Amino acid sequence: MNQEKVRARSEIVKLIRAWFDQCGFLEVHTPRLVGLPGQEPHLEPFWTEVVISNAKGEGRRAKSDAALITSPEYAMKKLLAEGMDKIYDLGPCFRNNEPWDGTHDPEFLMLEWYRRDAGLNEIMEDTESMIRFVAKESKNVILREVGATKDLPIGISAESFRRITMEAAFCEYLNVNLSSLLEDKQALVDLAISLDQTVGDEDSWDDIFFKIFLTHIEPRLGEQPTFLYRYPASMAALARRSEDDPRYAERVELYIGPFELANGFAELADPDEQRERFAEERELRSKLGKKTWSIDERLLSALPKMGNAAGIAFGVDRLVMLLTGSKSINDILPFSARERFDI
Amino acid sequence: MASPNEIKKGIVVRKDGDLWVVTEFQHINPGKGAAFVRARIKNVKNARSLEMTWKVSETIEIVEMQRRNMQYLYKDDTGYNFMDSATYDQMSMSEQDVGDQAKYLKEGMTIVVVVYEDKPIALQLPKKMNFTIIETMPAVKGDTVSGNVTKEAKVDVGFTVQVPIFMKEGEEIVVNTETGDYVERA
Repeated sequence: MNQEKVRARSEIVKLIRAWFDQCGFLEVHTPRLVGLPGQEPHLEPFWTEVVISNAKGEGRRAKSDAALITSPEYAMKKLLAEGMDKIYDLGPCFRNNEPWDGTHDPEFLMLEWYRRDAGLNEIMEDTESMIRFVAKESKNVILREVGATKDLPIGISAESFRRITMEAAFCEYLNVNLSSLLEDKQALVDLAISLDQTVGDEDSWDDIFFKIFLTHIEPRLGEQPTFLYRYPASMAALARRSEDDPRYAERVELYIGPFELANGFAELADPDEQRERFAEERELRSKLGKKTWSIDERLLSALPKMGNAAGIAFGVDRLVMLLTGSKSINDILPFSARERFDI
Repeated sequence: MASPNEIKKGIVVRKDGDLWVVTEFQHINPGKGAAFVRARIKNVKNARSLEMTWKVSETIEIVEMQRRNMQYLYKDDTGYNFMDSATYDQMSMSEQDVGDQAKYLKEGMTIVVVVYEDKPIALQLPKKMNFTIIETMPAVKGDTVSGNVTKEAKVDVGFTVQVPIFMKEGEEIVVNTETGDYVERA
């Protein structure tokens, strides 16, 4: 354990809370243990069982499967539907079956916040202001005003974070017109092959897109703090379509240095589309041989009351790594995963 | 046929009819998308490097290489020289092919050399190796309050590594050759 960095993490968490509190947000503490966690096909919740000690004899079920949340998203959307606005949740989230590659721990600190009647612009402004406030006010961070360098650490300079659409990124990094490829899978395949990728018959448009994006664009985005926004609609299924170009949807990710720090959306409030999306996810999980569970009907009923909200999931531990110049998440945790588990 | 999940440094894959050795790799899950493995691969014949991303559910062809136990002899203008412990054959690898693994080489050490068609293409270092600290600041009791827990140390083969503040010159340490980090006292 590096005590200096553990202290820095504690201080950064307090500063994050201070920023939200002074901006008029309410901190909510939504449940960590739920019956119906998120169904993303590539996220694996931890499962246990909840048992009632005195339910026997009343003719009721005495136990149920229970899972640790992978994200507080569902609960927060239900709160938005109840009329709450400007809410944030900062607490542990749990994801199983992740690579232990220095940027993951099965338990990590997640920050999510949501605004009613908002879009990506408000979310991006929140994110940048919050990071600058924390970097400036902290007595423990070592990177306040350093320019970009090839390796960690990358600092937060006085220059505003870059905001670039996915379309502009393809243009800048690959000299390619992404919009012309959205409906032309063959052209996308040709591009992938020309860029040395393999394309299988089973690869979907999204798969091929990611092979190109992850190889040639994503590794370079964080060279300066960058918001990448407006994704092709197919990979932002839960986001509202962009008003001026419905082929794209309002999703944003923040890249600083080697880290993807946040993933945000202008949230779609259509329960029918959401139900379809849930059904697709469930089917894919089943096809991949993974555990499946019922769809959260309470969430679906809550959606129409959410209005035009926007929200974002932010990796607090990665921000701490960035600001303390740490190469591994283990540097900032009091006890690393390998110290806790005999693996 | 194999899965991209089996990719490790030193593994050789066949792509477009050529053989490529994996020099770097990373698992990526672009949240709300499929799972991928991104790797840097180097062409065995012409040393051309490129980056590739595979879907985890794809199949790739991993080519089994001959792995020979060899002894590292010395370095000269032809490169790094190795001798097969069984046959006494010698082969050399260029600086370019050995890359940053060179920093761990100790004359006389046994090492696995990945060989294809009698040509050495990669080195497989033991995951952990022992080195002796030859230069570092004096040992101090760990000062955990102020957080000064590590210091720089130079080891016998020449590279530097962060070690606990209580280590002394002359002590032997275990280093992880994949990350370059101190693991524990030997």
